[in-house]
Amino acid sequence: MKKTTWRKATVLAAGAAMLLGMAGLALAEDTIKVGVVGPRTGSAAATGTAFDEGIALALERINAKGGVLGKKLEVVFEDTAGDPQKAASGLEKLITKDKVVMAMGESHSSAALAEIDVADRYKLPLIIAEAWHDDITKKNIKYVFRAGPSNSGVVDDAILGFIKANGFKRVAIVAENTDWGLGIKDLAEAGLKAAGVATEVFITERQSQDHYTELNKIKNFKPDLVLAFVYGFGVHYLIAQSNEVGLVPQTALLLEGAGPPSLWPDFWKNVGDAGNLELFVSSMHKDVMLTPVAKEFQDAYVKKFGKEPTDYKSRSMFNTLLIAADAINRGGSTDPDKLVEALEKTDLTVCSGQVKFGTEKGSYRYHQWQPPMLIIQWQDKKQVVVYPKEAATGQLQKK
Amino acid sequence: MSTRHAKVPSARQELLPWLAVLALFLTLPAWLGEYWLGSAIVGLFYVMMAASWNLLAGFTGQVSFAHAAFAGVGAYTSGILAVKLGLHPLLGVPVGVAAAALLSLGLGALCIRMGGIYLSLTTLAFSEILRLVINNEYEITRGTMGLKVPFILGDYSKATAFYLMLAAAAAVLLVIRWLLKSDLGLMFRAVQNDEVAADSLGVPVTRIRVTAFVISGAMAGLAGGLYGHYLTLITPHIPSLDLMFLVLAMAVIGGMGTFAGPVVGALFLEVLAEYIRVWGEFHVLIFSLVALGFARFLPGGIVGLATAWLTRRPARSGKGGAA
Amino acid sequence: MNDLLMYLTNGVVIGIIYALSALGVSLIVGIMNVVNFAHGELYILAGYFSAIFASALGLGPIPAMVVAVAAIFVLGLLMEWTLIRPTYGDDMYSLIITFILSIILQNAYLFIFGPYPQKPPNWTSGASNLFGLFFYGNQRLACLGVAVGVIAGFFLLLHKTWFGRVVRAVSMDREVASMLGVNPVRVNLLAFGLGCALAGAAGVILTPIFPVTPTVGVGVSLTAFVVVVLGGMGSFSGCVVGGLILGLVENLGSAYLDSGYKHMFGFVILILVLFFRPAGLFGQKQL
Repeated sequence: MKKTTWRKATVLAAGAAMLLGMAGLALAEDTIKVGVVGPRTGSAAATGTAFDEGIALALERINAKGGVLGKKLEVVFEDTAGDPQKAASGLEKLITKDKVVMAMGESHSSAALAEIDVADRYKLPLIIAEAWHDDITKKNIKYVFRAGPSNSGVVDDAILGFIKANGFKRVAIVAENTDWGLGIKDLAEAGLKAAGVATEVFITERQSQDHYTELNKIKNFKPDLVLAFVYGFGVHYLIAQSNEVGLVPQTALLLEGAGPPSLWPDFWKNVGDAGNLELFVSSMHKDVMLTPVAKEFQDAYVKKFGKEPTDYKSRSMFNTLLIAADAINRGGSTDPDKLVEALEKTDLTVCSGQVKFGTEKGSYRYHQWQPPMLIIQWQDKKQVVVYPKEAATGQLQKK
Repeated sequence: MSTRHAKVPSARQELLPWLAVLALFLTLPAWLGEYWLGSAIVGLFYVMMAASWNLLAGFTGQVSFAHAAFAGVGAYTSGILAVKLGLHPLLGVPVGVAAAALLSLGLGALCIRMGGIYLSLTTLAFSEILRLVINNEYEITRGTMGLKVPFILGDYSKATAFYLMLAAAAAVLLVIRWLLKSDLGLMFRAVQNDEVAADSLGVPVTRIRVTAFVISGAMAGLAGGLYGHYLTLITPHIPSLDLMFLVLAMAVIGGMGTFAGPVVGALFLEVLAEYIRVWGEFHVLIFSLVALGFARFLPGGIVGLATAWLTRRPARSGKGGAA
Repeated sequence: MNDLLMYLTNGVVIGIIYALSALGVSLIVGIMNVVNFAHGELYILAGYFSAIFASALGLGPIPAMVVAVAAIFVLGLLMEWTLIRPTYGDDMYSLIITFILSIILQNAYLFIFGPYPQKPPNWTSGASNLFGLFFYGNQRLACLGVAVGVIAGFFLLLHKTWFGRVVRAVSMDREVASMLGVNPVRVNLLAFGLGCALAGAAGVILTPIFPVTPTVGVGVSLTAFVVVVLGGMGSFSGCVVGGLILGLVENLGSAYLDSGYKHMFGFVILILVLFFRPAGLFGQKQL
């Protein structure tokens, strides 16, 4: 009997140890932590890699200049995989377990929309980098900022302008059934209708691999431009298959409305020659240096990674971290409300221009800064900027 | 496989450790940090799910893959009612439970007769159909974008959610325990051990199985409804095969066919998940390897191991051959 | 009319490949009464192998495919020996084990191969103008040809070889077969290996069109199960017919009805079959 009781005690002790482990002890550290949320898995996992690159370069730059408030800046990255549930729980973990003072990033609108509520609940400043849905800033949550494109900005400034400037008359819109896809589709459709362009909408799944059925319907519509709002590998298959059925670029051009999928390393492998003459949105091009910081980023990137940067999301994350560090330093504290005040007063030069956040409530422009977007076309595997005219490095090719 | 000889605790002194655990849990919100309290809530969700799944698989021999789907039914029913009709979650969750019970009645009646493989495949098909419907009808369910729903009760507070989940989990476990001790429980085991013999003795085999199916499904609906309103965001993650796998792994690792097994498995794996979280994407891989190890070599699970060690009976390991 | 022909063609191509994949499941179910949940994961693994062998080892697409399938066959033998054999007679146990195995493999693939889709290079490129009415990818046509060849090969194996005769005997009545001197353990081993190899074959054929990622296996497994149930457990010709029916229903359904529900048709068919005619179209097995 004694042995049994002793054993029972051991089991109880083990359980207690487990519980104590849960109570957790936080060690004081000599760093200031910020959280980054983004997709490391899922259909846009390559964006996670791009984010990592931006983070590495930004941390080098920031910590070389003295860090933040005299301490080193540290980043904790939480994978959200484009899933709103993972995003919410991931951000909560960053706040409650890692005790970050600020969070930033995200590339999926559905995830971002979940994150802004968590940020509001815990009063944590959150800077969204690359999630475009208008509602993210339209909800006017005090702690949420966006240092990246918004759907309205992209559609109004870049896409509609491009379509009107080049006289496209019939546009087929393919959109993924996510917050971003449906949101930007609505705006594009409305804008095109207002401009008198014939449009038809086709909804698809982000990870769908077989598009023959949809492409057939699209062909019957006889478009001269296909707008593809699919942020994932699915768009590679869409392009390859649209080539097989004789649509792109034989009778229509394709504009990929997210950007990164056309820049991922596997693009040419998956798409083959069908990728020639494909158009996409981007906020970065090596011949378009809007500020000296852009040049510094380019040089640092080449030096560290041994190749030229192609995915603009890496630069976007770089920008965002600079903004965050700047706000912490200017505000002089990590108190959330002081950080919000400091962010609102931002006037910083980053790669894509001068950052100033809107402060007027009532629209999506609240706490929003819209970087300029470019429309780029692949011509013989080279990136050529075709819109806007001021930044163009070449002419649009149609066949 | 040991589940053919399902063990059920018999003596009243078995209740004592449970009361001790309950007492401990009642104190958790006082000293457990915000983060770990959140984990505890999720752990309680899985306790309900694993225990109710085990009722079906461990005690009546039916491996259902629709369990997570029923949790999803509970969550989405309650969530949609809250969003569209403004129904308070405390009223919506019971409706969700009813919906889950109804659907499990239908599904059970459909496939119970087939047994074995066919049952598993049908439940799998049902689970996938539900997922597809949720994804496609995003106008109502918001699909993969997630449905934002109100918090379960009052202002957001992890302590509130914790006590509600604790109450629900305790209720679920009490019901299961009462069932297993009752005549119904006896018939469950009869049906599981030898269907033909049970049938010949007048046990209404089909009705017994359907009953188990419905009770199990209703419990999943309860767990899902509460969980959804705790997260305040309902996504297809709840009725997903990934979640289904976790539930299965917890029951297997904890010990199928035992009462304490799913509870131990759920809590153990939930805590383990937090520690392995550093390796992010790989924690499921580790779980699944552990689960395979247990399924293949230690079918009694942790509880089986602990029981053998505590009472010095040789631990069951491996599987001799055909049953 | 062009559209309809295109959908029909697509349905046949996809359907034949579904049939090939289902043959693997049917073989294992028929011989061992085991449902291999990891079926889809083996399909994917073959796809990954063919991509890697083609690029890393510089093998041509055809040798890469053959080596990949052979590797899967060996893996199948290993699986049977270590995991399945101890579960004979206990259906639930083998279900659970293969289900857990499928999750392990999915996550292992994420770990080993990364999240990006992989595919071997196309064997052929461009498109043909079919019947002079519409364009169809050449690669898809080539896949159709190879798949038909493999299926034909399987039926040859079934009807002309000793192994095939044993398989048919055991499918029909396991007890009698063993009484007549068939060694059940060895048959199981080979059958499982062959079943996995068939999954692998479907994988290497389809990967050039649909690149593999760690998670597409679930869909493959489910489709195979639907086809097997539809065709009738234990019937191989049922697999072919069932596969074609599913492929056609899916493509026509998504073309003329809602394409979002493309994959639901299969499950609805499954439930209808189980409800009205559980033995399937050509089923021999008793429930």
